[in-house]
Amino acid sequence: MVSSPMSEGLIYDKKLSSVGPAYATDPDLVYEPRNLDLAMKLHFLRGIYYFERQAFEGLTILAIKEPMFDWLNKYPVTSGRFRRAESGRAYIKCNDCGVRFLEAKCDKTLEEWLEIRDASLEKLLVSNQIIGPELGFSPLIFIQLTKFKCGGTSLGLSWAHVLGDAFSAAEFLSMLGRLVAGQDLGPPFDLAQSLTKSVISHDPPKVAEDPIAVKRVEPVGDNWLTPTKFKVEPFYFDVTATHLAHLQSKVGPKFGPFEAISAIIWKCIAKIRGKEMESNVVTICKKSEEGNKVYGMLGNTQVVSVVKADFPIVDAEPSVLAKLMREEAFDMRDKIDEAMARENGVVDYVIYGANMTFVNLEDAKFYDFEYRGQKPVRVSYWVDGVGDEGAVLVLPGTNEGGGGRAVVAILPEEEIVRFEAELKRERLIA
Amino acid sequence: MPDIVLKFVKLGYQYLVNHVLALLLIPTALGVAVEILRSSPARWNSFQIDPLHLIFCSFLAVFIATVYFMSKPRSIYLVDYACYKPPVTYRVPFSTFMEHSRLILKDNPKSVDFQMRILERSGLGEETCLPPAIHYIPPTPTMDAARGEAETVIFSSIDSLMKKTGLKPKDIDILIVNCSLFSPTPSLSAMIINKYKLRSNIKSYNLSGMGCSAGLISIDLARDLLQIHPNSNALVISTEIITPNYYKGSERAMLLPNCLFRMGGAAILLSNKRRDRSRAKYKLVHVVRTHKGADDKAYKCVYEQEDPQGKVGINLSKDLMVIAGEALKSNITTIGPLVLPASEQLLFLFTLIGRKIFNPKWKPYIPDFKQAFEHFCIHAGGRAVIDELQKNLQLSAEHVEASRMTLHRFGNTSSSSLWYELGYIEAKGRMRKGDRVWQIAFGSGFKCNSAVWKCNRTIKTTSDGPWQDCIHRYPVHIPEIVKI
Repeated sequence: MVSSPMSEGLIYDKKLSSVGPAYATDPDLVYEPRNLDLAMKLHFLRGIYYFERQAFEGLTILAIKEPMFDWLNKYPVTSGRFRRAESGRAYIKCNDCGVRFLEAKCDKTLEEWLEIRDASLEKLLVSNQIIGPELGFSPLIFIQLTKFKCGGTSLGLSWAHVLGDAFSAAEFLSMLGRLVAGQDLGPPFDLAQSLTKSVISHDPPKVAEDPIAVKRVEPVGDNWLTPTKFKVEPFYFDVTATHLAHLQSKVGPKFGPFEAISAIIWKCIAKIRGKEMESNVVTICKKSEEGNKVYGMLGNTQVVSVVKADFPIVDAEPSVLAKLMREEAFDMRDKIDEAMARENGVVDYVIYGANMTFVNLEDAKFYDFEYRGQKPVRVSYWVDGVGDEGAVLVLPGTNEGGGGRAVVAILPEEEIVRFEAELKRERLIA
Repeated sequence: MPDIVLKFVKLGYQYLVNHVLALLLIPTALGVAVEILRSSPARWNSFQIDPLHLIFCSFLAVFIATVYFMSKPRSIYLVDYACYKPPVTYRVPFSTFMEHSRLILKDNPKSVDFQMRILERSGLGEETCLPPAIHYIPPTPTMDAARGEAETVIFSSIDSLMKKTGLKPKDIDILIVNCSLFSPTPSLSAMIINKYKLRSNIKSYNLSGMGCSAGLISIDLARDLLQIHPNSNALVISTEIITPNYYKGSERAMLLPNCLFRMGGAAILLSNKRRDRSRAKYKLVHVVRTHKGADDKAYKCVYEQEDPQGKVGINLSKDLMVIAGEALKSNITTIGPLVLPASEQLLFLFTLIGRKIFNPKWKPYIPDFKQAFEHFCIHAGGRAVIDELQKNLQLSAEHVEASRMTLHRFGNTSSSSLWYELGYIEAKGRMRKGDRVWQIAFGSGFKCNSAVWKCNRTIKTTSDGPWQDCIHRYPVHIPEIVKI
C-alpha cells in the first residue's frame, strides 16, 4: 500500500493488543460456517464509526476494553481461529484467541478529517488485514480505536465476511453499545462440539457449472486474498435528499432510492466500459426478510440474486433497469449452496465483483450503535476483496442526512475518474 | 492376606510407640494408687508432713512453672489472609499467548515452538492472568506500568484483608513486603505506608531478590519480630510483579518464566495479641529454612543474567529438579524430628543406623509425612516440582490437589502461591480444627523453606476469596499435553 506524503505520520502512537472472551470456552467447541458463509470468505468488511468527543471522553483504554470481554463472551466464535478439517473444509475452533485491538492517535481534529473525505486516508483508521497467510493465527475481527486531536474517536471494525453479512456485523457492534449502556446480553450462544459438515464425500465429483452469481478463482490456499486483474479501490459520494428526489423523478416514483441509484450507476458504468465490456448481468444483495440466523444473528443470510438484461444497457432507460432489478432478480442462494456443497466447501469463490454487484445496505442498522448515549456522526463502510467487475454499496445517509444516501463504489482504479464525471453528468452529485 | 497383617502390625507399632509415655505412666499410677489403697489408714497418719518442706516444694513448683511460662516463645497466630483475584480482563488464554509470541518473536520460530511445548505441558489453565502492559505486542513494561500493577495487586489484597479482619491502618505495628524482582525507590512498603497512612513508628521491611520462597522468609521474620514486641500484629505482603520482568529475548532457558509466571499476591495478618487467639485461623508451629547457597551449582541454578543480545532474563539450569530434591531432603532432615510422630522417627533412625552399620544397600526409609500433616501446600512452581514432591513424599493425588489446581487456575504466582493453595483447601471445606498444614516453598539461592501451621478453628466455606466463582468446577483433570 503506497502511503502518500499526506498520510505519513498522520496516524501515530500505535499499540497492538488482543481482547477476548471473559470466560474460558469449552476447548472442544467448533463452529462450522455454512456453504453460503464459505462462499463469502474472500471478502472483508471494513467499517468506520466516527464519534464526537463525549462518547469516549474520560475513558482510559482499560475502561474501553473492559465491556468488550463480556461482549465477546456472548459469541466465542468471533474470538476463534480457522482450522481445516481433513476434507479441507474450513471451520472455526473456539480457542478464545480473541480479536485484535489497535490503539492509535491522529493529528487532526474530527472535523478536519471528515472534511477531507479521502478513501485512501480512511484506510488508515481500520485494519487492512485478511485471513492468511496462516489460517490458525489470523484474527477474524480487528478493532481500531483512533483518538483525534479534539477528543473525537473513530472505531474501525474489520470483519471477515465469512462470519456474517454487513447486517450481522452492524447488529454485533450494536450489542457492544447496549452492553456499555448496562444491558445484560445473556449467556453465550450454544455451539456444537463435533464437525458434522466436514465429512469427506466418496462420491465421484459431479461436474456442473458454477452459478452465474459467483466467480471461481484460482485456489488461494490459506491466504484469503482475492486475485484480481485490476487494482480495485473504493470511491465515496453522498446522494443528498434533493439529488435523490431528482433521481427518483427520472426513474419513476415506483422505485425506492436503492433501485434508482443502482439503475443510474449501472448505466454510468456501462457507458464507461463500452458495449463489448458492458456487464448485462448484475448481482443484487439485500437484507433477507426471514429473520432467522443459524448462530444468533451471525451468518450470511443476505439475499444474493442475479439480474440479466437482454438488451444493451447503455441505451436503456433507467426506469427499465430499475424495473428489471426489482422484478426479475433470481435468488441464487440455493444454487450457490449446492455448488459449494458439491466442492465440499473447499472451492474459492468471489461473489462481490463476480458480476457488477449492487449491495443494498439501506436497512443495515449502522447508526444503532450508540456508545454511552452518543450515536456516530458518520459511518463509512466498504468491502475489501471485491472482484474485477466492481461493487456498489448503498448505505443509509448520516443521521442528519434527512433522507439522503451514502454510496461507496468499489471499482478498478482507472475507472474512477470517468465514473465521477458520469455521475456529475447524471446530476447524482454536485 | 499378608498385606492386611502387615498393616495391622504397622498400626500396632505406631500406637505403641506414639503413646509409650501414656502406656508406661498409666500402669505405674494405677500401681501406686492400688498400693496406697491397700495400705491401712493408720499408715497414712504416720506420714509426717513437714510444713517447711511443703512450703519449699510449693515455691519450687511455682518457680518452675514461672520459668517455663516466661521462656515459652509467644504463640503467633495467623488471623486471616486475602489473595488477589485478577479481573477477567487480564486473562491470557493459551492461544492468545502463542499468537502474541509468534508476532513478537517472528524471527525466532524455534523459540516460539519451544514456548508452545512448555505451555502445552505446563499444567496451567486458560484463566491465568498477566498485567495489562504484557498484553501488548510487543509488551510495554514501563516503570509506571510496574507501579500500577503493584498498586492494583497489593492495595486490593490489603483492602480485602481489612474488610475480612476489621484491621485499621493505625493498628498495624509491623509491615513486611516481599517482592523479588521489582524493587523501586521508594520501596513497596513505603508505597503501602503512604497509601494507607500508617503510623510513623511502624517497623517496616522490604525483602527483595529472595525468590519464590520469600513468602515464608517474611513469615519467619514476622515471627521473630513478634517475639520481641508484645501485643502486636504484623501485616505481611507476598507478591511478584510481572511487568518489569518479561524477558524480551529469545534464549530458550530464559523464556520459561514468561510461560509460567502469572499475576498474583497475598496479604497476611499475623498477631501475638491475646484477643486474636479465638478468632485466628491458624497457629504458627514451626518455620524451617534451608539454604543450599554454599554449593556453587545450587547458587547458580536460578540466575538472572543478560543473554548474548544483552536482554536480561532469568536463566533456569537443567539441574533444577535435582537441586530442588537435595534442598528438600535437607529441609526434611530438620523438620522431620519436629513434626513426625515417634514411631516414624524410630523407624527412620533404625534404617539409618542399619545402613551405616549393617548394609548400605538398605533402601533409605522415607518417613510417612502423611501422619504428621493433614494438608500439604507445595509451591506451584511448575508441574515438575509438584510431580517430584508427590513422588518423594509419597503423597496421594488429593494431597497435591491444592497445588495442582492453583497452578491451573492462577499459574505460578511465586511467593503468594502457597496462600492460594491454602485458600483452595478452605474453599473446599476441608480445613478442620486441629488439622496440620505443611507449606513448602522453593526459591532461587537455592532455598527450601517450610512452615507448619495448626488450624485453630474449623473454617467454614465463605463466599469471598479468589476461588469463590470457580471452586465448584474444581478439581479438573489436567491432561499431560494440552492441544492448543
